[in-house]
Order: sequence, then structure tokens, then C-alpha cells
Amino acid sequence: MSPTAVQVTDLQKRYDDVQALRSVSFSVDPGEIFGLVGPNGAGKTTTLRTLSTLLTVGGGEVSVFGADVESDPNEVRKRIRYLPEDAGSYDNLTGRQYLEFVADFYSDSPQELVEHGIEIADLDERIESKTSEYSKGMTRKLLLASTIMTEPDLAILDEPTSGLDVENARTIREIVKEFPGQDRSVLLSSHNMLEVEYLCDRIGLLNEGEIVAEGTPPELIDQYDAENLEEAFLEAVA
Amino acid sequence: MNHFWRLLWKETRELLRPRYLLPILLIPVMFIGLGQGIGGIDDAAAGQPDIGILNEDDGEYGELVNASLSQNAAVVYYAESGDPSATIEAVSEAGGDTLIVIPDGFTERIQQRAAGNIGIHSVVRSLSLSGITSSTQIKRQVDQAGTALTLNVTGTTPAMLNPIRPEYTTYLEDKTLENTSPGALSGSFATQFIFIPVVIMFVIIFSGQMVINSMGAEKENKTLETLLTMPVKRSTIVAAKLIGSASIGLLGAALYTVSIYYYQSSFTDGAASAALSLGIVDYAIVGVSLFLSLVGVLALALVLGIFAGDRQGAQMLLFPISILAIVPMFATMFTDVAKLSLPIRAILLAIPFTHPAIAPKRLLLNDTTMVVGGIMYEAIFAIVMIWLAIRVFNSDRLVTGSSGRVGQWLSRLQQ
Repeated sequence: MSPTAVQVTDLQKRYDDVQALRSVSFSVDPGEIFGLVGPNGAGKTTTLRTLSTLLTVGGGEVSVFGADVESDPNEVRKRIRYLPEDAGSYDNLTGRQYLEFVADFYSDSPQELVEHGIEIADLDERIESKTSEYSKGMTRKLLLASTIMTEPDLAILDEPTSGLDVENARTIREIVKEFPGQDRSVLLSSHNMLEVEYLCDRIGLLNEGEIVAEGTPPELIDQYDAENLEEAFLEAVA
Repeated sequence: MNHFWRLLWKETRELLRPRYLLPILLIPVMFIGLGQGIGGIDDAAAGQPDIGILNEDDGEYGELVNASLSQNAAVVYYAESGDPSATIEAVSEAGGDTLIVIPDGFTERIQQRAAGNIGIHSVVRSLSLSGITSSTQIKRQVDQAGTALTLNVTGTTPAMLNPIRPEYTTYLEDKTLENTSPGALSGSFATQFIFIPVVIMFVIIFSGQMVINSMGAEKENKTLETLLTMPVKRSTIVAAKLIGSASIGLLGAALYTVSIYYYQSSFTDGAASAALSLGIVDYAIVGVSLFLSLVGVLALALVLGIFAGDRQGAQMLLFPISILAIVPMFATMFTDVAKLSLPIRAILLAIPFTHPAIAPKRLLLNDTTMVVGGIMYEAIFAIVMIWLAIRVFNSDRLVTGSSGRVGQWLSRLQQ
């Protein structure tokens, strides 16, 4: 196992006239939950998509467990699972069929993974319903289950609780909190400071395409002499 | 199951959904229905009509006409006097549609070498194609009675009624066709080959539609990003989408081919002119041309599908492909591409889908240079399109979609 799960060094990205990432650098250790926090347009999703091999690297270096995302994307994909913020599932499949479809890519005996996924999703008999009949919360639980049932070395979660009600958001948070092990890491983005403070071992504050501060939640609160993480964030981006 | 087959199964399963399959099935059913309807009318036209005869003439020629009609039609009512308007009701009640009235004095007029009038009273039960059938049948009966009358009155022979027998020799490029008129040649060609461009158009449009739908569904379901981060090579995803779409597209094309053939065979006796038949090798060459065309259109559609916002947007993006498929179809159906002016020919030949459409005609005329050239052009087009598709699949455009000038233009097209 590589000593570093994620290593991002001076990552830059431009979309036409917009410089989405100026210089992003951070690292994630195995067993760690690392949170990227920032306002809309700060570059969180672009960073996560780059790590997930969805976007090309504009500049700098990005590696996952030592594999470069540009030169060795297939190796990166074997180690990660990515849950986009606005993801969906195939609406002609049932929840179980969707889990089976995903599990097939990760194991020669996928049934164990599927059963694990069903347990995580906790949808009871609705796991046999078409996903087109699911509520947003049910879909999110299914997708999170499909993401972590394969026990990836790195789970990349973009706003995992975005748009969910309190109960569903709490369930998702508990699932994420329990996921990391000695060799498994989580990299997530969120707007919710309470959620980030609760879930993350370390945080990177991202603003206008740059990491402006990095540390554990107590370190950041101390650094900005703030009462909570929200205040620390506002100080950091001021 | 390896990753490719798993993805192929997913694609096929998605594209076999009723929303995609029913429109494909609907048109073949319509063609078969039309073929059956027209075939039924043709059968009716070939059969004996049910008629009534009111023979008011007491001479030999009135009787001759009556005998001819009775031999070639089913006479459901016969009388020698009566009012035609009342008699037609009796004929109608007996199941007939037409009353033939041979008036008094008919024989005298023929003996005076004048034309004799025959009254034809018809009941039209519905305004439809069957009305044409009825008229055709009765006219044939009356013509046959007229021929019998001419032979009897003049004492001539059937050959003397048509004393000139034309013997056609038609030259087509380097072929000499004996006993074939230009009209018969064109008719034979139309019967055998005119549906090929139509089928090719269907193959292209349906296959393109399938792959664009596949991309539109991924966008609409928001599954594309998840799929792209699976441990699968992008080229495998591209291949699964192309082959899955091609399978359904070919299935649709096969259904269309059968239904169009069925529809066309209702117009003809199905006998093909030996002078205009293609050999197995020729058909294989047309098949290669069509296959390369299919690969090219699928890859092009995949590239366009990347810019689809959703399923509806995907349908709009099919428009350029439809135009590229329809133009060669009409051009090859109504003209000979090789005889068009250079600029128009260049434009048509630049469209890759023109080549499979013109291949049968060129092979028929032993013009293999144009066909082989076309196949090479199609192969280059297909390779470039696949390269482009894989390149786009490996680029940011798949995720960012509408970025860039082309993306913005295609986004506007979907609004």
C-alpha cells in the first residue's frame, strides 16, 4: 500500500476563458476522510472529477495510490469509486439489478458485494423496485451503497448529502463515517460545515481555485481564531 | 462475463425498451399492412367480377357480347327487358356491382359498320382503391367482348389485330439486352433495386438514432460520469455502445427490408430480369460498403450524442445524420449519380452514405472502380470517426459537453 492515497500538486485547470483551478495542492492519507470545502465555483467538483479521471489535468500532478491520473487512468479507476453530486441510476433497472451491474465490474463473485450493497442501501423490499420509482433519498442511498459496497481504496464523494432531508442525510453521513479502514480513504466535498466537521479528519478550504487553508477542524478554528468551522471558513475566504 | 459483454448487454437492454423499439416495429407493420391491402386489391382485379346483363338486343352480335361476358365474368342476373335503374337494384341484391346493358338495335348498328353502344351501370359501395379494381375488371370484360366481335365481323385473325410485333434491343453502357425495351429495363431495375437506397437510409437513421439515444439516456439518467469511472477502458465503452446500437439498428433494417420487399412484391410478380441480376460477390461488396457506412454513422452519431442534453435533445442531433442519409437516397432513386454534373456528383460522393446506395447500380454496370473507391473512402471515414469518438471519450468534452464553439452550436440546436 502506498503511503499516500491522493497526492495533488499544483493542479491547474482552465475551461475556455475561465481559470477553474489556479493551484491546488493537498494530500490524503490512507484511512483518512479528507473534506474539500468551498463556495460554489471554487473548484471542488473540478478537483474531484480530475482525480476520478473524468477531466484531463490542465497543469500540475495528480496521483492516486501512486498511479498518475493522466498516464495510468485505468489503474486509478481500479482503486477508486466516484459518486457525483447529481448522479442517477439506469431507470430500467431495479435497485438490485443496478447493484449487480456495478458489482460485476469489481468481482468475479459479485453476489457477496451485492448483498453487502443491499445491506448498506437499507431499502427493504424496494430494492426490487425500478429505480425510476425511487425518491431522491432512496436513489442517493442506493448510489452510495453501490459506491462503497466494492470497498474501494478511495471513495470520492461529491456533496454526498446534497438535497436530502435530515433523516436521509444523517443515514448517509453514518455510512460514510463508518467506511474508512486502515487502507480505505474518503475524499469528499460539501457545503455543510457541520457535516464536514463531523465527518472529516482533515479539511482543505478551497476558494477561487486555490487551497487557502488546510488542517484538522480544530486546527483551522484555532488558526483563524474562530468559534466554529463556518467562521473559520469565512475568515479564510475573506 | 467480461466488461465488454456486460456493457453490451446493458446497451442492448436499454435500447430494447418499448420507447425505442415500438417506433421501429410500427413502420414495418404499416408496410406489411399496405402490401396485404394492395395485394388483396390485385387479387380481386385478377378475379371474375359479378355482373348482371340486360340484353335487349335480339340479334346475333348482342348474343355474341352476352356469350363473351358470360364466359369471363360471373353473371348473377340476366334479363332481356326492363328498366336499367330498376334492374341494377336486382343485380345489387344478387351480389353484383355492375349491369351491362346491350340495347335494342345493337346488332343492326354493327352490321352497318357503326360502333354499338353498351350501357355500363355501376354501384359504388365505397370510395376506395377497390373502386379502381371494379372499373378495371369491367373494362377488361368489355374489351374482350369487343375483340370477339371484331374477329367475328371481320373474319380476321388475332394476329392481324396486332400485326406489328416490335423486337427490342436495348444498349446499357457496355451491355446489350435482347428482347428488352427501355421501359421494361427501367421497370425491372426499379423492382429489384429501388428499395436498396431506402433500406440503407433506414439502417443509417435507425442505427444513428440508437446510439444517440444511448448517449441521451446516459445524460438524462446522469449515469455517464459513474460509468466513465468504472475500471473499464474508454475504448471498451465506445465499442459496446457502437456494437449494441448496430445490433438493434440492423434488426430494424432487417425488419424494414422484409416489409419493403413484401410491399413491393405486391406490385409485381417477383420475377427479376436475368440481365439485371447481381451475383453473390456483388452482394458481398454491397454488404461491405453498407457495413462500413454503418460503422461510420455509428461513430459519428456517438460523437454527436456526446453533446446531447437528454433524449429529446438527442433526437434533434439526429437531424444532420438524417439529411445525410435522405439526400443520397433520393439522388440514387431518381437519378444516376455518375451522370450528374461534377459539382453535384462531388457533393454526393463526399457523403459516405451515398456509396452503398449507388453500389448495386454501379456493379450492375461493371463500374467496379467507383465502388472500390467508395469502399476505401468509407473505410477512411469510419476510421476517422472511430478515432474521433475515442478521442472525444478521452477528453473533457464528455463531461463538460457544451464547451467549445461546436458544443455551443449543438446546444443551441437542442433548444
